[in-house]
Amino acid sequence: MTTTARRPQYLSHALLLTLSFLAIFPIYWMIITSVRPEREIYSPAPIPGEVSFENYERAWNAIPMARMLGNTIATAVSQTIFQLTTSVLAAYAFARWRFPGRNILYALFALTWLVPFQAIMIPNYVLLTQLGWRDTLFALIVPNIGSAFAVLLLFQSFKAFPLELIDAARIDGAGSWGILWRVVFPNLRASIASLGVLLFISSWNDYFWPLLVTSRPENSTVQIGLQAFMSSDMNLWGPLMAAATLASLPILVMYLLLQRQVIDSFVKSGLR
Amino acid sequence: MQRDTRLTLNPAAATRSAAVLAKTRSSSLTWLNRLEPYLYLLPAVIAVGIWIYRPLLQTIELSFYQWNMLPTAPRTFVGWQNYAQLFALPEMSRALLNTAVYMLGILPLSVVLPMVVAILTQDIGKRARTLYRMLIFLPVIIAPVVVAVVWRWILHPTNGILNNTLEALSLIEEPLRFFTDERLAIWAIIFITGWKLIGFSTLIFSAALTNINREYIEAAQIDGASRWQITRFLLIPLLSPTILFMTMLTLLLASQWSFAYINVLTQGGPLNATTNIYFLLWNYGFRSFAVGWSSAAATVFFLGFSIIALLFIRLSSRFAFYDN
Repeated sequence: MTTTARRPQYLSHALLLTLSFLAIFPIYWMIITSVRPEREIYSPAPIPGEVSFENYERAWNAIPMARMLGNTIATAVSQTIFQLTTSVLAAYAFARWRFPGRNILYALFALTWLVPFQAIMIPNYVLLTQLGWRDTLFALIVPNIGSAFAVLLLFQSFKAFPLELIDAARIDGAGSWGILWRVVFPNLRASIASLGVLLFISSWNDYFWPLLVTSRPENSTVQIGLQAFMSSDMNLWGPLMAAATLASLPILVMYLLLQRQVIDSFVKSGLR
Repeated sequence: MQRDTRLTLNPAAATRSAAVLAKTRSSSLTWLNRLEPYLYLLPAVIAVGIWIYRPLLQTIELSFYQWNMLPTAPRTFVGWQNYAQLFALPEMSRALLNTAVYMLGILPLSVVLPMVVAILTQDIGKRARTLYRMLIFLPVIIAPVVVAVVWRWILHPTNGILNNTLEALSLIEEPLRFFTDERLAIWAIIFITGWKLIGFSTLIFSAALTNINREYIEAAQIDGASRWQITRFLLIPLLSPTILFMTMLTLLLASQWSFAYINVLTQGGPLNATTNIYFLLWNYGFRSFAVGWSSAAATVFFLGFSIIALLFIRLSSRFAFYDN
């Protein structure tokens, strides 16, 4: 310990500063470009001469921004709530009981990890078309009410919950439903909330699913709208960066407020 | 199973009342009790069943048919034909080659560099560490489409800040056309994919390093081991589970991670230089409407990747050194 502490730290700092610069520069450049007035768009100056929000106005009017943001909020919020509910119930079952078929069912959730989106997209697309759900919020939300990943992750924290507390509640006459919501849930609120943040971010950022089930930007999420906006006109860099900033704003705010929880839940979960 | 605290107060009465309770309940409740776990699991199982396993089985089924996805068009059974011609399908060999390039190209960014950074920066103080963590991690939470749009702006041949800076410094004579130059495009996509991963991977390696027992390192230092020896013979072996995990993740998911950037930035071009297997599946399905091709290829890749995953899980239980 002493020898490592004595070593000069400038190399570490230089390395980390370089990496930090690489990580934040694109985001910084996006925000800076978005607030530059039109004549300064191509300026290489790291700080804009004056701040203007005309790009936001133009982006807001060029694409159905309000509709798309509304769709994205509705989708991300409902997906998060549904996925949390279904996975709390499932993780509780796995943590609390040993029952026939438990391992098989658990494996069924674990193995979804191996199924790539592209291996299931066509049948899902066909089914949603048959249901007449394409270009609706149903198509964006309903297929994502369950998340195998959320079940596995929650099970890890539920497993650590002391069974003595459950037993004590049972002796007091509580049923399994009451125990879940009055004993287990309040105690695991922190891990459930950080999973919720994770699910919200991945739902907000999702690209594959909205791409598959919606064809018009006004019926889709802001990610698809952003892509459509980019393809439609190459040289509107200011408004495009304004749209990109708007599309990431809720996530950035969340990150600034809850960065420790966000980072921890991502690192704990692996990447998916 | 059920423990009853009342037993300690009045054993006889408690046993009696428990027995009565058990009797009235048992007829209606025992089988319901046994059903209970399944009821809790039902919503999640239904969701995963309908939206993951049903389509997976249907994809396997569709791989034996020729169909153009139109509900009115007939599905023609063609047996193993889609599989037989799989590797002769248009653009397939290029897509396979590119997929390998993506995997190997992303590995340095998702495994080597993060591990080196994590090892070299172990000694950083706690407060600075928190700040760096926050900055380096930022790309992970940004949406892939936003990432693609921003890099398109930065890397733009005539107006982008990178080309302008390089030209101003006289490092290049002609602007680098990152997404339209056949030789550069795949590396641009690999870089962007890696850029989004480095922070995540570095934190995974840092977390693994902090979990290593300091006594090993101190013991090695007392024995006079150099920093390089400690890294080579102690840290890297102890990190091997993490190295294997991140390598597996990269090999399995590199093609999925890069899909969004390919679709937004290059559409597989120029001249198929950036296409990969998943982009090809997407094209077969939703551009050429060749459901049979897409499904057969998807089935083969699904099995291939499952085998790779299995090998890695085997490998990590056999060769990894665990710190217990």
